[in-house]
Amino acid sequence: MTGTKDKLFYGLLALTAAIFVYLIGYIFLATPLAQLQAGGLAQKIFYFHVPAAYAMYLCGAVCCISSGLYLYSPTDTRDAAARAGADCAVVFGAMVLASGPLWAKKAWGVYWTWDPRLTTTLLSVLVFVSVVMLRAFAGNGEAERKFASALGVLGVVTLPIIHYAVVMWGGNHPTVITKTGGGLRHPAMTHALMVGFLAMTLLAGLLVWCRTRLTLSLSRVARLEEQAIATGQID
Amino acid sequence: MTQSQPESTTTTSDPSSRSTEFVAVQGGGETTSAASLLIAAYAVMWGLVFAFVFLSWRRQARVETRISELEKAIAAGGADGSGRQ
Repeated sequence: MTGTKDKLFYGLLALTAAIFVYLIGYIFLATPLAQLQAGGLAQKIFYFHVPAAYAMYLCGAVCCISSGLYLYSPTDTRDAAARAGADCAVVFGAMVLASGPLWAKKAWGVYWTWDPRLTTTLLSVLVFVSVVMLRAFAGNGEAERKFASALGVLGVVTLPIIHYAVVMWGGNHPTVITKTGGGLRHPAMTHALMVGFLAMTLLAGLLVWCRTRLTLSLSRVARLEEQAIATGQID
Repeated sequence: MTQSQPESTTTTSDPSSRSTEFVAVQGGGETTSAASLLIAAYAVMWGLVFAFVFLSWRRQARVETRISELEKAIAAGGADGSGRQ
């Protein structure tokens, strides 16, 4: 990275870390307990669970837009951003799928149920897992890149379905922050959620940045190896 | 082989009070500790983030090393025209 980019990266990293420290303190010290039907103390998982789902949407959008741009006009940077978006969408999706059942155990009495939102979230994460697996094991040729890009564009189609699954098909998921919901009935709860969104946005940005840089470096290694082989420097 | 039946030492005096079947009930009490679920959720989420960052960082370091090796090899080859790694 260049000097300016280094400064920006480490500045954002420090800001993100500071916001997370503040957020964790705020969640445990300032936000009140929710009603028992919502899980009581376990409801505090919500302040990371929902922003992680939002970060998954963001990374999925990065994957979709970069994939679309790559299909339109292929460049290494677009391919790297698409791959980074899929990688990070899987990580945030795993956070959602790991934290949700632990909260559900307290609120619903079971770790997993085939609720529409849970099912569509799982399907969406599996689409991004397939993009990651394809890029990891199917080579780095032009055809593989384009096929993964097409899959990345298709993957984002599942994201609105997750969002509207509760409205369309009901299920166990709360509808607190939807249009028909009652909202968070305490200012501290709203504040914690908003800070959570900010923190996860920054974290998603940093992770996508790191993974894009890694993928670009891998492309550079491939080019240097081709050059070294062509000139007889390595076998 | 015959085995004599031991004399009953159980404290259950009335066999009819034992369960003879298990029946599902609605709304059974959820006894898992909310605190342990909360801690587990935060640990898993942060574990995932830190593992992802660590693996990315380690891979980036390996890739940077490989790039510098290849650049040196190419530069050496360009200098003497016959360098091989």
